[in-house]
Amino acid sequence: MAQLVETAKELLKSGKVSYIIGYTAHGDNGTKPFIARTEADAEKLVFNHHCVNNLSVYINKADIPENGNIGIIAKGCDIRTITMLVQENQIKREHIYIIGVNCNGQVKDIGMNWEKENVAQKCALCEVRTPALYDVLVGDLEDFEKPEPTTMQLIQQIEAMTPKERWAYWQEQFDKCIKCYACRQACPLCYCDQCIVDKNEPQWIETSPTSRGNLSWNIIRALHQSGRCVGCGECSRVCPMGIPIGILNVKMNMISMRDFGFKPGMNINESTLVGSYNFTEKENFIR
Amino acid sequence: MLTIENIYKPDLVEIIDIIQETPDIQTFKLKFKDPEVQKNYSFKAGQFAEYSVFGEGECTFCIASPPTRMEFLECSFKAAGKVTKAMSRMNVGDTMGLRGPYGNWFPIEQMKGKNVVFIAGGIGLAPVRCIIKNVLDLRSEFKDVTIVYGARSVNDLVYKYELEEWKNMPDVKTVVTVDPGGETPEWTGEVGFVPTIVEKVAPSGEDTVAIICGPPIMIKYTFPVLEKLGFKDDNIITTLENRMKCGLGKCGRCNVGNIYVCKDGPVFNLTQMKTLPDEY
Amino acid sequence: MNEYIITSTNINQLAGELLNEGYNVVAEAEDGTAFIAVAAGSNVILNPFGKPTNLSPKQYIFPKTETLFYYKKSQTDVEIIDPTGLGHKTVIFGTKPCDSAANKILAKVFNWDYKDEFFNKRVENTVVIGLKCGYRDAQCFCTSVGLSPESGEGSDVFLTPLENGDYLAQTITEKGAKFVEEHKKMFDAISADKNKPVPMPEAPAKKFDAAKVKVWLDSNFENEFWDGLGDLCLGCAQCAYVCPTCHCFDIVDENFDYTSGRRVKNWDCCQFTMFTKHASGHNPRSVQSDRFRQRVNHKFKYYPDRFDMILCTGCGRCSRGCGVGMDISEIVQAIDNLK
Repeated sequence: MAQLVETAKELLKSGKVSYIIGYTAHGDNGTKPFIARTEADAEKLVFNHHCVNNLSVYINKADIPENGNIGIIAKGCDIRTITMLVQENQIKREHIYIIGVNCNGQVKDIGMNWEKENVAQKCALCEVRTPALYDVLVGDLEDFEKPEPTTMQLIQQIEAMTPKERWAYWQEQFDKCIKCYACRQACPLCYCDQCIVDKNEPQWIETSPTSRGNLSWNIIRALHQSGRCVGCGECSRVCPMGIPIGILNVKMNMISMRDFGFKPGMNINESTLVGSYNFTEKENFIR
Repeated sequence: MLTIENIYKPDLVEIIDIIQETPDIQTFKLKFKDPEVQKNYSFKAGQFAEYSVFGEGECTFCIASPPTRMEFLECSFKAAGKVTKAMSRMNVGDTMGLRGPYGNWFPIEQMKGKNVVFIAGGIGLAPVRCIIKNVLDLRSEFKDVTIVYGARSVNDLVYKYELEEWKNMPDVKTVVTVDPGGETPEWTGEVGFVPTIVEKVAPSGEDTVAIICGPPIMIKYTFPVLEKLGFKDDNIITTLENRMKCGLGKCGRCNVGNIYVCKDGPVFNLTQMKTLPDEY
Repeated sequence: MNEYIITSTNINQLAGELLNEGYNVVAEAEDGTAFIAVAAGSNVILNPFGKPTNLSPKQYIFPKTETLFYYKKSQTDVEIIDPTGLGHKTVIFGTKPCDSAANKILAKVFNWDYKDEFFNKRVENTVVIGLKCGYRDAQCFCTSVGLSPESGEGSDVFLTPLENGDYLAQTITEKGAKFVEEHKKMFDAISADKNKPVPMPEAPAKKFDAAKVKVWLDSNFENEFWDGLGDLCLGCAQCAYVCPTCHCFDIVDENFDYTSGRRVKNWDCCQFTMFTKHASGHNPRSVQSDRFRQRVNHKFKYYPDRFDMILCTGCGRCSRGCGVGMDISEIVQAIDNLK
């Protein structure tokens, strides 16, 4: 879209940012992440229904040399992540120029056609189609048909199971895991310099893709994301085995909301749940 | 029950002695638990083995004892990671595993009839020690033998007992040095970085083979000195202590460019090293 | 090579019979994520026009986790116990040429001087029933690495779908011939009127000249082409794990309790930061672009130099699965188009 490209060109020309992380067309029916460093690069930036990636993963992860500020093209869900990253001191607010986009829904995965059954689950209940935070906003809002909330339905299905049934369900899911750590690498909020699975003195979490090792890994990740995950769904999207791991995080989010009234990444001025100290905590061991 | 040959299965060895070389470096003397294995075991100086601490894992070191002395095998290590730290907590009498020998070896046959210069730094003396002792055990087959060894400080010198032995040998020139600042008041050896001392000792490169092992920075600064002294690239030999895991050329970890350190190495000459990409 | 006809019904019957005989019967899972061991003959699906599964069937000759041995510690002594369960007879139904060909490629590294009998025994005890491939997409490039959608390379028996719903079964190896002989009542004689193969789309056009690319790789390790190439790579192991030919592995000890445990071989990946990290802290490949360069070089230069085979079958799984669109065939194509 023209407005996006012009904004990006302007930012790069003025030197306000040293590069912009965005999307560029790739293949017949998709986009892929792209780093625009020059005005010529900026011409290649796009935004459409095939921009499901959460680009804020590159804020911490990439080996991209940084000399100055960076720009990023981000949807509402991505910006919730950026908000969390700023609140967790991973990047200073003034170092990241957010080009917010009004989002009209995204496909579940790269390369899919834009139609109702292919709309990403996170779009079914999205409250941030206009992002809560940005430096500039581009694009217009348009209606689109929301998908069946199959994720919420699955969560309710599991909630209705007995503990034994739930255990059997997750055993079956986690047995498929191959420990590729795509879920961890695609998650913008998984940024530990050395992940707990990579620590081997002692080996806290088994590295083998056995039932025991997989269960430990997936549960520890869900616990480490509790109160932080914004539900961008990247983990589920990138899992090659189709394990619905994201629902563990969604469920933990529901608990954060219920017990602490906290929704990650909605308000950059509010304290985060697990990143702040509150004298009115329920548990007295923490006071 | 498995009826296949399991290339990943180690032989059992017993720790028969532990020598504390420096505060963080130890030497283990190991003997195979099965006397048949001990009797039939052979290896060449420069080869390495995979040492197991059951429950912790395996780690890779060269065999530090020479093949001319087969009553036991020795390895020296610094407690740096998970397995080596577990090793440093072991006692005489404990059981470990050993797989090997793997890799290639120092070209001792090509060294015969020539002068030999050994240059090592810090724990780098461990892989060189096996070939030093191998050469000294066959002393008459070589011309001049020179040993230049240095460490950060007097405390960090390994094989102190052997350095004394070598210093007392009339047909071996042994020069030991410590880094500036690492000397003690009683220190009578040299003071200076290894490359500087090599330059001072100035062994001629003519008809001489140099074997060098030590921290990358020491090697980096010693190569030009050797070049100036007339050493040919083919005659400068080092052993690469890259991260290895299976030792069998399969797991991919030690793959650097076209070579696998565990199969094509760990011993390389400078000509070969120069063809390797800078990834080790 | 012998030729037979096998009906679709008989394929399922055969699978059922094999299960009764105690074989492990492996076929594509219904959801297309992987090849799985089926519980009933009717669960065997052949999918010549479908997308390759997310995960290759490599698991069955090179499992994601494999016990090398068990150990029992007592006081100062240790007992090593061999693992069991190797050599279970297996039949894999419906691997496309880009999967079947992998076995021969992997056999090279697993038999380089030291023979990995865990691998060899599994290959020996597995019958591969390959399937002609009618799937094409932008990520396929089997023809660029010396294969084709109709190649029987690596299959023991090769199936071609026929217009009437049956399959032409060709025995490619002695093992395949023996297998068919042992189950010959499932196979019918070939006849001219039953023998019309389903028309397949054209084979994918070659994306690059692998030999030419190798020549470039031989002398361009430090080329600026590699700079920034891995910037967008997330550094997970998906590409390596779904790949039919990637084989790097880790060896770790896992304790069951204070006195016993096992040593296990697990899949590993050169894209992980920790892969080459030394205990001293030094990491020769500390930047993702260096790691990505390793992947391309290993597959298209180092393996061919050592074993005369490309470490890739062009199945495209790595590109299809990559969450951020890294496409190795595009990158190799870009190399081919340089200068």
